[in-house]
Amino acid sequence: MSKKKLLEFSRYPIAFVALFVQIFLIIAMFLYASLAFTPAGAPATAGQQIGANIVYGFVMGLFLSFTLWEIGFSIREEQTRGTLESLYLSPASKFASLLARVFAILIWVGALSVFAILVVGSVVGGLPVANAGLALVVLVFSISGFLGLAFIFAGVTIKLKETAQFLVSFLQFFFMIFSAQFFPFKALREASPLIVDGISRWLPVSYSVDTFRSLLIGQTPELGPSMEIEILIVILFGILSPIVGYWAYNRLEKGARMQGTLGEY
Amino acid sequence: MAAPVAASRGFGLGRPGWRAKRDVVRTVFLARIRIISRYKGAILMEALLPIVFAAMPVLLGITVAAQQGGGADPGQLFCDRTRVNGVCTTNFKLYMLIGAATFTVVSLMLWLIGYWVRREQETGTLESLYLAPVRRIWVLAGVTSYAFVRAMIAFVIAITLGSVLFQVNPFTGGVGIALVFLAIGFLPLWGLAFMFGAFIMKIKEADSVIQVLQWVLAFLMGVFYPITLLPGYMQTVAGAFPPTVMTDGVRASILDISYFYNSMYGSLAVLFAMALVVPLLGYQVFEITERRLRRKEGVGHY
Repeated sequence: MSKKKLLEFSRYPIAFVALFVQIFLIIAMFLYASLAFTPAGAPATAGQQIGANIVYGFVMGLFLSFTLWEIGFSIREEQTRGTLESLYLSPASKFASLLARVFAILIWVGALSVFAILVVGSVVGGLPVANAGLALVVLVFSISGFLGLAFIFAGVTIKLKETAQFLVSFLQFFFMIFSAQFFPFKALREASPLIVDGISRWLPVSYSVDTFRSLLIGQTPELGPSMEIEILIVILFGILSPIVGYWAYNRLEKGARMQGTLGEY
Repeated sequence: MAAPVAASRGFGLGRPGWRAKRDVVRTVFLARIRIISRYKGAILMEALLPIVFAAMPVLLGITVAAQQGGGADPGQLFCDRTRVNGVCTTNFKLYMLIGAATFTVVSLMLWLIGYWVRREQETGTLESLYLAPVRRIWVLAGVTSYAFVRAMIAFVIAITLGSVLFQVNPFTGGVGIALVFLAIGFLPLWGLAFMFGAFIMKIKEADSVIQVLQWVLAFLMGVFYPITLLPGYMQTVAGAFPPTVMTDGVRASILDISYFYNSMYGSLAVLFAMALVVPLLGYQVFEITERRLRRKEGVGHY
């Protein structure tokens, strides 16, 4: 399945290039947006700090949205093509089949992330890169946690069919705002402390973003009481989320099979 | 008498009159509306999206201001940095909201036309559509009218809801002038949508192209910033792009800031010229592309 996905991606070089251009444009837009608030003659470190906040949160956002979209969409594609039912009749592991769908996209997103960091770094004159090793560990556990969310979403796609697309769009933007992917949490707190205390603090994704960003910038985290506790939350998220997610997926898929709606689209 | 006429001209195909043409537009429009009415989530998302888009630079602005220390006001910083000809606005929230809502309109217009072509190609109905005894312009008119209505619904909901959320009043400045900019701006948008449809028909790859073009649009339109912040050559490119003039005009009239083409009359004149040229050019491009495709592999190939 992974090989097939990689092969499919390699057949669409335009899509590959388009994605790089898209990432470049998104970053450029946000940099210009921040420029509109930066006084002329502001020190370079201010730009670096803003650039780091934008790009490190953006990297986490990239992994989250691509994982969510990819699993859900490939399930939806199998539904529309009419191959989902046949796939479920094959003696292959369903877990492996689900997991295999994201490998190619993770490699892709990894490349995009490096590109994004390099672009922003070159524009703002370098980015802070402290605790890179630990940040990488946090990233791995976060991706594992995102996989759990993606499994749930795959199950929801089987149930909701086309409507699932809107749900994932909504989730993507929900996390973008409430997990503060393009700005620090203090901006949300300034808008209303209730947003951080009532919503952001309860989302594991927020801790992934905060820990990853704080580790790389070398600052104290904004959400948890300490870095150790935040790392622990991310590790637990990375371990528990795939288990819970796969369980939820199995339940939804079983329900669809019992109702005979698995191949329906 | 009838026999020699038939012999010289042939029986010919029935040529649809005005009523039939109007029916084509109406039928296409209603069909699209009926389809989308089944996906209420899509309409809701379209309306919420501009608010989310606007919220991000607003929060980013608050962060940048906080970094300056001394309780710097983001509105004042925005005003100082974006001042043109001595005029600026501190109402950065409304600035972002208008930009994001106008961007949604532009993006929806292009997206819906592009996807319509692609969907017809994929479902194998584009070729059948070409065999129908009706000119393409009427079918396209139906689709673009539908796109217009859908885009306007999203725009109105986004501005209303966004104004409540961001606590801004969009009725402070020249709303009437803003509506004129919006109305005239739709005409070149139609032209761009035709060109976009032709492009999708030719390259047969909608998703990635639409997505990347969407961000090119957002970048050139200056959704989150005035285009005067861009380098000179890019300002020239952006200024020749109809959605930029439309967004700039809507913002300038509501927020009482300077227009890209120096005055309201200047910007309106440029947009009006675009409204005359771009739709004709767009339809020409569409016709040429489809004629070429029909000569080669046919329009049903995907």
